[in-house]
Amino acid sequence: MVIVSSEGGAAYQEAAVALLGELESGGVSSKDVLQITAAELAKADARTPRLYVALGTEAASVLARSELKAPVLCTLLPRQSFERLMRESGRRPSSQFTALYLNQPLTRQLDLVRLALPQVRSVGVLVGTESQSLEHTLTETAQSRGLKLVSVQVKPEGPVFVGLKKILAETELLLALADPQIYNSSSIQNILLASYRARVPMLAFSPAYVRAGALLGVYSTPAQIGQQAGVIARGMLQGKALDLPQYPKDFNVGVNEHVARSLGLNLEPQALTERLRRLEKRP
Amino acid sequence: MKFLDIRDRMLLAALLPVTFVAFWLAAVFLLARAGDIDEAHQQRARSLARQVASASEYGMFSANTGNLQAIAAGAMREADVRSVAILDAQGNELALAGQAGYARLPALGEKETQWNDEPTRHDMVVQPVTASQVKLDDLFDEGVQTGGDTPQVMGHVVIEISRQTVISRERDMLMAGLAVTLGGLLFGGFLAIRIGQGVIRPILRVTDIIERIGRGELSSRGEVLPDDPLRDLQLGLNQMAERLEQGRDELERRVALATLELRAKKEEAETATLAKSRFLAAASHDLRQPTHALGMFVARLAQLPHDQETLHLISNLEASVRALQDLLDALLDISRLDAHVVKVSLRAFPLEEVLEQLRRDLVPAAADKGLQLRVRRSQLWVMSDPILLHRILLNLAGNALRYTRRGGVLVACRLRRGAEYVRIEVWDSGIGIAKEHQTDIFKEFFQIANTERDRSKGLGLGLNIVERTAQLLGHSLELTSRPGQGTRFSIEVPVVPPLPQSSMPAVPEVLAFDDLSGLKVLIIEDDALAARALASLLNSWECQVRVAEGLAKAQPLVAKGYVPNVIISDYRLRGGENGMETVQRLRAAIGRDVPACLMSGDTDPALMQSTRDAGLTLLHKPVRPAKLRSLIRRLVQEGGPPVSPVQLEGVDRE
Repeated sequence: MVIVSSEGGAAYQEAAVALLGELESGGVSSKDVLQITAAELAKADARTPRLYVALGTEAASVLARSELKAPVLCTLLPRQSFERLMRESGRRPSSQFTALYLNQPLTRQLDLVRLALPQVRSVGVLVGTESQSLEHTLTETAQSRGLKLVSVQVKPEGPVFVGLKKILAETELLLALADPQIYNSSSIQNILLASYRARVPMLAFSPAYVRAGALLGVYSTPAQIGQQAGVIARGMLQGKALDLPQYPKDFNVGVNEHVARSLGLNLEPQALTERLRRLEKRP
Repeated sequence: MKFLDIRDRMLLAALLPVTFVAFWLAAVFLLARAGDIDEAHQQRARSLARQVASASEYGMFSANTGNLQAIAAGAMREADVRSVAILDAQGNELALAGQAGYARLPALGEKETQWNDEPTRHDMVVQPVTASQVKLDDLFDEGVQTGGDTPQVMGHVVIEISRQTVISRERDMLMAGLAVTLGGLLFGGFLAIRIGQGVIRPILRVTDIIERIGRGELSSRGEVLPDDPLRDLQLGLNQMAERLEQGRDELERRVALATLELRAKKEEAETATLAKSRFLAAASHDLRQPTHALGMFVARLAQLPHDQETLHLISNLEASVRALQDLLDALLDISRLDAHVVKVSLRAFPLEEVLEQLRRDLVPAAADKGLQLRVRRSQLWVMSDPILLHRILLNLAGNALRYTRRGGVLVACRLRRGAEYVRIEVWDSGIGIAKEHQTDIFKEFFQIANTERDRSKGLGLGLNIVERTAQLLGHSLELTSRPGQGTRFSIEVPVVPPLPQSSMPAVPEVLAFDDLSGLKVLIIEDDALAARALASLLNSWECQVRVAEGLAKAQPLVAKGYVPNVIISDYRLRGGENGMETVQRLRAAIGRDVPACLMSGDTDPALMQSTRDAGLTLLHKPVRPAKLRSLIRRLVQEGGPPVSPVQLEGVDRE
């Protein structure tokens, strides 16, 4: 099998190590695994592998554009990115081209809201072009958990602050959905600053956002995803067909304790993780 | 270039580096400091802009213009800030504080820019406002074009800052720098002068001493100071001056000694010369009286009838007397030349006058010797003293006759130097003069080949007199001679155009009457012998002679009505009388200027002068009868006192 990484970054390495560990524990020799980067794919060994594992959006994109005889498992990429790839390459998610998403299911995020901040009744969401599709599901999911959802559309190139101001004024929590049009390294600071000033905490989707000032976040580490990808790959090598795209099973909850303290909250990330996991295991 | 003395040079040497260093240091530090101030100012402007930009970020994100205005106003509180403007990404003004001095802004980019606005001279800083970048390192952003690493420009902050403070600080600093430089220069100059003086003063002191020594003040000494940097030089100088002084003193002593000796020698020589002159004068005077009388007697004697043998003796006697008189005359001439009493009276006259006289004087002597004397005629006029020129020619021609045994003597004139001069040449066919004697012959008493001192060959004074007289007249004298062939003496006399005949002085040569018979002559003579001789001579010329010893004897005669035609008086009379006064008294007694002449054996120049002043003729003893006769004739003919100048009496060798 071939592991194609977008690049040689630490996250990819971490995921690859976990993946290989899982495969080895399943009796797959590391000699049978070819590890390359997306750029190296074109000149890679011509032998037909039995499975391609793409780590990252770039690797997935390269594989999507290639004529492959083996099934592809895309991982370490957000759902929006996978769906965009499908649209662009004209493929359809199948057992031949499937994904293990990086982002968390909306249910998990809203469950965390209920667990961590039981007093919150309304949740605001900024929706860009990529996250637009989720808006309907999101509203339903929220309602099922007794939460009021306020969503504001942000036009491409338009100012974020107008919508943000509305959400901050009307809701008690800002739920950040991965959409680079809205949340990026340039905007995050001001968004966090605005939310902090309005004393509306943010629930983010990655540990970096938690470090940057989001109150808490739920996310899967590359190791957790790699490990899960390993399990899938092993099953496939043992003759199991690949599932359709799915969310990661394992996750962590991160809390920015400074922000929590500022807001007068006392949140235990470890406990929250456990409680959330337990909640999900319940039927 | 202007000459700089040592003081200026020292000052220059000390001050130039000081000035150079001071100015360079000042310039370097001022420039560096100005640069620092400027840099600090720019830095402050940039910092302020960054600060404002950073502070504006959230206000701009949140479009909070009130917040932005507050930030701008806050920035205005900084010194020198003239205006603060906060613009959005489109360049629209979100906030403005202060009065913007600039007209318009250039295109604002993503970079911080800084410039100086031309009309206002204000510094402008434009700082883009960018969103703070938070490193997310997130897998979610992968593959999404978010603008990459370039931060998103949200707007701009424009700050206008006046340079007033910078300029004033720079000016203050410049002033301070100049003050420090000037102070440094003054201090350096002061030090240079003070230190320089320590060196210059000794040098000047030494220079002064050297100058004084140079002027001859050898006694000057420099003070030797213990801290003098030129102490050794000073010591050496003092030593040198001392040596010089000693040497000079020694020299002066020797010179004084030598001078003393020289003076003694000179006095000795002068005394000798004086003695010689005195001897000559005395000898000639004392010899004159008897010779004078002797001449008179011999002349008288010759007039008496004698037999042939006696006549021959008398003739010889006359020749001897004449030789004796010649010698005395020559001595007299020399003594007068020595006394510098010979007066030259230059005038224009026909040369023929002198030549004619020469002919008359010498032809008989030449005939006696059997020689031919030819004096060529000349129509030229010359500028000279006729008497002195005659004396020269007479001497030269006389000498020529004396030293010629065969042949003849020729006197001829030739024009020279473009007819400006006439050269009067005296040729002889005599023994000639050897080369080695040609200069000696002009010395006194020098005679060639006359060691036996034959008196008939003269005393050897002739050429000396000729040379000195020619010098007196300014005529050049030349000698060309070859032994055994003959000699040519020549003298060059300036030629002048002839004067009209009327102005020619009458030559009293043609006499109205030659006869002196019956002429009344008064002789005043204290010497009985001389008086008797003279009276006897005059008597032989048939004059009526009265003799008086002096004025006392003469006055009674005159008082009795005796009026002589001529008075002949000795100059020096008994009892301190002198002939001049006597003559004047007698003239006064008679009532008219009776013709008179004086006779004297003295060669005293003062006497000659005073006689001339009194308008009397002075005859020097011994007076030759012929001369006396012609004088008396002339005096009587003129009928009054003669006015001709004192004549330089004869060296004629008739």
